[in-house]
Amino acid sequence: MVSINYAFREICCKIVYYGPGLSGKTTNLIYIHKKAPPQTKGELISLATDADRTLYFDFLPIDIGPVQGFATKFQLYTVPGQVYYNATRKLVLRGVDGLIFVADSQAAKLEENIESMNNLIENLEEYGYVLEELPMIIQYNKRDLEEVSSLEELEKCLNPRGLPYIEAVAVKGIGVFDTLKAISKLVLEKARGKSEPEGKKELVSVAAESKPSVMPSAEKEELEKKPYAPAREAVPETPLGKDSFEEVERDLEQPERTCRVEEKLENAREKEEEEQAKEAVRLQKEKEEELIKARLKEQEEKAGKDREEAERKKLFMEKLERGMAEVERQKKALELEKIREAEESKKKEQAALIEKMKKIEEEKKTLIRSQSEIEKETVEAERVSKEVVPEKTAQTVKADETGLPFQSKVITSPMLKQKKTKSAKGGFLWRWIQKIAGRR
Amino acid sequence: MDTKNSRQEVKLQDDSLIIHEEEIEKIDRALIKLIKGSEAKCALLVDKDGHLITRQGFTHSLDTTALAALLAGSFASTREIARLVGEPEFSVLFHQGKRDHIHISLVGERSILVVIFDDRTTIGMVRLYAKECGEELAAILEEAHKSKKKSEPAIDSGFAASAEDRLNDIFRD
Repeated sequence: MVSINYAFREICCKIVYYGPGLSGKTTNLIYIHKKAPPQTKGELISLATDADRTLYFDFLPIDIGPVQGFATKFQLYTVPGQVYYNATRKLVLRGVDGLIFVADSQAAKLEENIESMNNLIENLEEYGYVLEELPMIIQYNKRDLEEVSSLEELEKCLNPRGLPYIEAVAVKGIGVFDTLKAISKLVLEKARGKSEPEGKKELVSVAAESKPSVMPSAEKEELEKKPYAPAREAVPETPLGKDSFEEVERDLEQPERTCRVEEKLENAREKEEEEQAKEAVRLQKEKEEELIKARLKEQEEKAGKDREEAERKKLFMEKLERGMAEVERQKKALELEKIREAEESKKKEQAALIEKMKKIEEEKKTLIRSQSEIEKETVEAERVSKEVVPEKTAQTVKADETGLPFQSKVITSPMLKQKKTKSAKGGFLWRWIQKIAGRR
Repeated sequence: MDTKNSRQEVKLQDDSLIIHEEEIEKIDRALIKLIKGSEAKCALLVDKDGHLITRQGFTHSLDTTALAALLAGSFASTREIARLVGEPEFSVLFHQGKRDHIHISLVGERSILVVIFDDRTTIGMVRLYAKECGEELAAILEEAHKSKKKSEPAIDSGFAASAEDRLNDIFRD
C-alpha cells in the first residue's frame, strides 16, 4: 500500500499498468517518460526480451514534487502481458496502490482482454486484495485503429463494476496523461484514510465530467447490476477459493504466532542476556580481584626483594666494613710487624753494635793486655837495663847526640821515673789498674 | 463473505507502510553500524514492494529508486523460485561482480536489506554484520508496525486536490 515516509517526508505510490500482451502498457510509460518535465521523471527501466517484449517489468519513477509538505512520488510499473509470464506478472502486483487496465480496443483482441482481466482478478485475490477497495481505471487503447470494438461492447465485457475509463491512443499520447492523472487522484484519495464510498462516487463523477467518453450514469448502473458475463468465471460468484481463504487465515494467524514465539524468544533472550551480563560482571570482578591480588603479591614480592636486597646490601656493607676493618687491622698489624721488625732489626743492630763494641772492647782489652805485656816487657826490659846501665847510658847519649831520640828520652825518662817510683814505692797501683782493666 | 472481507481488510491495512522519523533514525544507526563494521560501501533498506525506506553510505552515485525497485523485483522472483523448488524462502541473495558485490537479505516479513560492497571487505564479514543488523532492524520494524495503528493519517482531504492541481500542471499534452 501507499508508503509514507515521515523521515524523508515522502509519499510513494505504486501504480501498475496491467493488460494483455501488446496492448500498449509499455508504450504508455515510454510516452510519459518522453513528455514529462525532466525534473519529475526518473530513468525508465525496461526488463525486456531482445524482441522488446516486457520480460519482467518496466519501471518509471515520477516525482511530482512536494504536495502539502510531502514529496509525492509515483512508481509506474508495467507487467509482462503474455500469458506465459504469469509468475512474474503476479510479482509485480505485489504492493500495488493503483491499477490501470490497458485494454486493446481491436475487435480481435477482445477475448485476450477478458482473459487478462480475469487473470488480474485472480492474482489480486491471491494477494488478498479487495477489488472494490483498490483504485482502478480502464484505458481503452488503440482507439485510432479501424477494426475496434465499440465502447459499449468493451464496457459490457470488461467493466461490469463501472470503473472510470478513458479512451486513448498511447502511441500518439492521447489519453495517456489523463489516465495517469485520474489514477493518481484515486490513489491519493484512497491514501487519505479509509476508503470512502462517497468519495469514490465523487471521483467517478469527476472522471465522467472530465471525459466525455465516460458512459452515462444510468447505463453504468445498469451494467453494474449485471453479472460479470463475459468472464470465464463469474467473479462475484467465485469469491475466494477455499485454498486462498485458508491461506489468508494462515497469513493472519502467523504473525500472532510468530509474535508470541518472538516474545518468548525475546524474554528468553533477555534473561539469557541478563545472566550473561551478570556472569560477565562476576567474571570481571573476579578478574579484577585476581589482578589486585597479583599486584599485591607483586608488590609484596617486590618489597621482599627490596628488603632482601637491602639486607644483602647491609650485609655486604657490613662485610665490606668488616673487611675494611680487617684490612686496616692487617695493615696495622703489618705496620706493627714492620715496626717490630724494625725494632728487632734495630735491636739486632744494637746487639750487633754492642757485640761490635764488645769486640772492640775485647780488642781494646787485648790491646791493653798486649800493652800491659809490653809494659811488663818494658818493665822487665828496664829491669834488665838497670842491671846493664852503662850500656844503656851510652845508648842514650848517642841518642841525645843525634837529637832525634830526644823526645823518647824525654818521654821515657818520666815514665821511667814513674815506673821507677812505682816500682820503687811498690806496684800496688799498677796492679789495681790492671785488675780493673781485666774486669772489663 | 463478510468475515473474509474484514480479514482481508485487516491484512491490507497491515500491509501499508508508515515510517516515522524516530524509527528511521534507529534504522539509520543500525545501517551505519553495519557499514562501519563490515566496511561495505552502502546499505539500503527496501520494502518488498520496491519502495526505498532508507539508505546509508556512498549512495549518491546510485539511482536508489530504480535500484530499490529492481532489487525488490529480483528478490520477489527469487522468492517465487524458492517456492517452486519447495523452499519457503531464500533469505539471502548474493550477486558477485568484478568490483562490486551485492548482498541481499530478508529483514522481518516485508523488508529487504541490501548491502553493496567491494573487495575491501569479504562476503563473510558482510554476511555476519548483515545478519546482526537484520535482527536489529526486524525488531525496529516490528515495533513500528505495532505502534503504527495509533498514528493518524498524515494526508488530509485537501491533499488529493492539491496533488491533482500539480498533476494537471505537470502533465499537459
